[in-house]
Amino acid sequence: MSADVILVIVVGTALAFDFTNGFHDTANVVATSISTRAASPQVAVAFAALLNFVGAFISISVAATVANDVVDAAVITPTVVFAGLIGAIAWNLITWSFGLPSSSSHALIGGVVGSAVAASGLDAVLVDGVVGKVLVPAVIAPLLAFTVAGIAIGLSYRIVGGQRPGTVTRGFRYGQIVSGGLLALAHGTNDAQKTMGIITLALIANGTLGAGADPPFWVIVSSAAAIALGTYSGGWRIIKTTGTRIIKMDSAQGFSAQGAGAAVILTSTHFGFPLSTTHVINGGVMGAGAAKRISAVRWGVAGNIMMAWLLTLPAAAAIGAAAYGASRIFGTGALGPALVTLAALSLVVVAFARRSQRGAPVPAGVEGGS
Amino acid sequence: MIETSELLQTVIASVVAGVGATVAFAIAIWGAARFVDLSRSERSVAAGAAAAVGILALAVTLAGVAFGVLAIV
Repeated sequence: MSADVILVIVVGTALAFDFTNGFHDTANVVATSISTRAASPQVAVAFAALLNFVGAFISISVAATVANDVVDAAVITPTVVFAGLIGAIAWNLITWSFGLPSSSSHALIGGVVGSAVAASGLDAVLVDGVVGKVLVPAVIAPLLAFTVAGIAIGLSYRIVGGQRPGTVTRGFRYGQIVSGGLLALAHGTNDAQKTMGIITLALIANGTLGAGADPPFWVIVSSAAAIALGTYSGGWRIIKTTGTRIIKMDSAQGFSAQGAGAAVILTSTHFGFPLSTTHVINGGVMGAGAAKRISAVRWGVAGNIMMAWLLTLPAAAAIGAAAYGASRIFGTGALGPALVTLAALSLVVVAFARRSQRGAPVPAGVEGGS
Repeated sequence: MIETSELLQTVIASVVAGVGATVAFAIAIWGAARFVDLSRSERSVAAGAAAAVGILALAVTLAGVAFGVLAIV
């Protein structure tokens, strides 16, 4: 009975994390289309939410990596998974409150690794999987998106350079309907799968599923719905800030940035690499901006991303470990996770209050591109 | 430990897909723009050739996108 209560708390927490992931990442997915006027804010957000939902169904490779290649499922309990989620959510809220562009994906992996180490020692961590499938792709993917977008926009400017600007702009705006859709699809497939993987890990830890099992269909549907709802909800906040805080770039840059981001995320998803979609999309935007004018790139944002790379995994791991320790103070039952959940909800209220006093964060990598 | 082969395939596929799709689409736009200009100056053969290049490039772009999505399913 107690184990089932913990499992329900874990599933609810994981879906809440998925919702916040969609809410948080809406700006990254739709900002480029809106800023180049390829789509109205309402259409861009609804389109992104729909394709986030669809994207969650097209692969389970990333979910398999999260469930089987990060920590040893044999020594994990649902409480460990719960504490890992709390570590990820808490770190996301802290960085969101301070305006630091952190990665939900890295926070999730870090939180679960930290709680697993606190529960079972270093042997619980599958080092090969964490290094080979998480850390190395985390460094390579944004640089790859930067490079691909830069090369693509450089070649495109050479091809269409002598043509009428109006025709070129209109053409790339139409193209952005497809490239923006692909980016939303890519975001949905990589990010929703992380939640699927975490819930699957909890189900394996609870004995509901066997080791190495794939996510059940209800897990796929609920994860897809949570991230899509989060994207749609987050969009309305973005719409209010459009025109004052969003990035500026021309439609060719938008197309190449979205195309590069989608290509990197979809290819990585195929091989089961759980990427930070935020970092990849920002990498593509910066690459497209830098190819036109180096000074257009907000290099400070790049510096913040670098800092987030360095901080997120250890910080989320530390909070995950602390959350596990706090849960265990109250024994192995459901009381610990329930009390930690209450504490986490209090943190949410504080973070929202703090953020509402300071204003919404700026979803930007480039400015003044056109 | 490091999935060298898979990472290398990711890099190659991303470059080919990301750069290829954007360049192909840029050629499609070039074809459309040239078609409009050449039609206005009543050079119908050249305009037809530009339109053909544009349509072919657009087809390559769409086929590449469809192949890319189907490949990961």
